[in-house]
Amino acid sequence: MIELKEITAMQGEFRLSVESLLLKRGDFVAVLGNNGSGKSTFLSVLAGLKKFKGGYMLDGEEFRGLSSRMRHRIISLLPQQTSLNMPFDVHYVVLTGRYPHTDGRGYRDEDMEATERVLREFDIFHLRDRQFNELSGGEKQRVLLARVINRDSPVILLDEPLSGIDLRHQHDTLDLLKRLSKDRVILMVVHDISLAVREFDRFLFFVQGALAYDLSKRELDEERLSRVFGVKVSFIRHERGIFVYTEGGNG
Amino acid sequence: MKRKSEVRSRRSEFYGSGIAVSLLAVLLVVVSIVAVMKGAVKIDFFGMSEIEREILFYVRVPRVFMAGLVGSALAFSGVLFQYVMKNPLADSFTTGVSASSAMGAVIAIMLGLGVVIPLFALAGGIIGLIAVYKIASVRGRVQPITMLLAGIVISTFSSATISFMKFLSDDAVSSIIFWLMGGFQSASVKKVAILGFVIALSYLMIRRDYLSLDIICFDDTTAVSSGVSVERLRRKAFFVAALLTAFSVGYAGIIGFVGLIVPHIIRLLRFVKASELIPLSLLGGAFFMILNDLIARTILAEGQELPVGIITSSVGGVFFLYLLIKRKKELYYFD
Repeated sequence: MIELKEITAMQGEFRLSVESLLLKRGDFVAVLGNNGSGKSTFLSVLAGLKKFKGGYMLDGEEFRGLSSRMRHRIISLLPQQTSLNMPFDVHYVVLTGRYPHTDGRGYRDEDMEATERVLREFDIFHLRDRQFNELSGGEKQRVLLARVINRDSPVILLDEPLSGIDLRHQHDTLDLLKRLSKDRVILMVVHDISLAVREFDRFLFFVQGALAYDLSKRELDEERLSRVFGVKVSFIRHERGIFVYTEGGNG
Repeated sequence: MKRKSEVRSRRSEFYGSGIAVSLLAVLLVVVSIVAVMKGAVKIDFFGMSEIEREILFYVRVPRVFMAGLVGSALAFSGVLFQYVMKNPLADSFTTGVSASSAMGAVIAIMLGLGVVIPLFALAGGIIGLIAVYKIASVRGRVQPITMLLAGIVISTFSSATISFMKFLSDDAVSSIIFWLMGGFQSASVKKVAILGFVIALSYLMIRRDYLSLDIICFDDTTAVSSGVSVERLRRKAFFVAALLTAFSVGYAGIIGFVGLIVPHIIRLLRFVKASELIPLSLLGGAFFMILNDLIARTILAEGQELPVGIITSSVGGVFFLYLLIKRKKELYYFD
C-alpha cells in the first residue's frame, strides 16, 4: 500500500529521514518516540502536507503524480490539533470528511448515509445537532475521529487520536480501529507504551528524526525500548499479555 | 428505514434555508417597490407626465437597483474576506481594501480617466489587500487584531494619498469629496448593468466552491488533508472579493460596514454553511442597502438628502462595537 525509499524532509532545522519502509493492508502500526522525534512530521509527509525528497509509492502509484483529491481519497489524516471557526454542527463536521469523494458541489445521499453510520459507530449520534465548538474535549476528539473514518480510506493516519477520550470510548475506538485495519493500513502516534504493546502488532520507533526501528510484537525488547525513550522499561508478562512498567532516571 | 428518514431530515434543513431565501426575496421586492415609489419628487403613477417618467426610469429605478447591487456586492465581499482571513471582523472597510480602492479610483479621476475608474479601483484594492494580508498573516492565519491594525495603516495611507491629490488639483475636489462619502446619486442604467454582470460572474465563480469554503473554516492542516487546494481557493476568493469591492467603491464611493453587519446577522440566524450564507448575504445586502438609501433620501424634509454612508456607518459602528464588546472572547479564541 505504502512504499518509502530514502525519504528526507526538512522542517526548519529539523530533518526527518526514513531509509525504507513497506506498509501493507492489514498493518495496525503504533508510531512511537519522544517529543520532537519526528512522528508528526512523518505523518505530514505521508499525507502530502510537507515537501520531501525520495521515493513514495502509494497504492502502486507515484505519490507526486496523484492529484490532491486522489491522494486524500486514499489517505485520511487526523492532526494533533484541529480548530474550527464556524459554528457547524457535529453532523456537518463529520460529513465534511467525505469531501474528496464528492464532485465539490454537494454531498450525495451516499455521503449522508455513511455519515449516519459513522456517527452511530462512534456513539455520537445523539450529539449530531450540537455545535462542535461547544462540546467537551473528549467529545470533540471522537467527532474528529469519526470525521476521519468517514472518509473510508484505505490508509488512515492518526496523531494521538485517544487524547482526552474516556476509557470506555478508548476501548470502543481501539476495537473499531482494529476491525477496520483488517483491510487497511492504520498508523497511530501513541505515547502510552503499555497500550501500544497491548494493542498493536507493529511498531515504528523514531529517534531524533530518523526511523530507528521497525519491529513486530515478537521483536520488542526492554533494552531497546529503554534506549528509545530514555527511561527504564520493564515487561511484566501475564497470561493476558505483556504489561509495561516504566521508571524515570537513567536506568 | 430510519436511515432514510435521517437523510430526509437533512434535506428539510435544506428547505429551511430555501424558506429564508424566499422570505428575504419577498422583503427585497417590497422594499424595492416602496423605494421606487418614495422620493423627493412625488410621482403620480396613474397619470405620469413626461418628466415624471424620465425621473422614474432614468433616476429612481436605476438608483434603487444600484443601491441593491452595491449592497449585495459589499455583503458578498465581506463574506469572502471573512472566509479567507478566518476572521469575523474582516470586510472591505476594516481591511482597508475600500480605502485603497478609492485611492485607485481617485488617481483615475485625477488623470481624467472616468470610464476606467473601476479598473483603477481594482488595482488599488488588490495592492491594499496584498499588503494587509502580508502584514497580518502568520502561517496562513490572519489574526483579527493585527488585521484591524494593518487595515488602519492601509486606510490612513490611502486617505493621505487622496488628500494629497485633492491638494494638487482644485477643480475635481468637490466631486471627489461627494463621491467619497458614498451614495447612489450617479446611478445609471449602464452602471447597473456592469455591476450586475460583475456580481453574477463572481457568484458563478464562487458557487462551485461552497463545500471547500466550509472546509477552510478548519485549520489549514485539516483543510489541506481533506483534499482542498487551500492556497488556490484563497487567491480566488481574494480576487473576487477585491473585484466586488472595487466596482462598488468605483460606482458608489466608500460605504462602510455592510459586509460586516449583513453576514453576521445571517450567521446569528444559524445559517452558517456557505451554500446558505452566500445566497442569503446577497439578498440581505441588497435589502439592507435599499432600505438605508430610502431612509437617506427621505429622512430630511424638502428633498434634501443624507449621504447613505452616514447611515450605514453609524448603524455599522454601533454593531461593530457590539461585536468587540460582546463577542470579544471569540475573537481571541481563534486557535
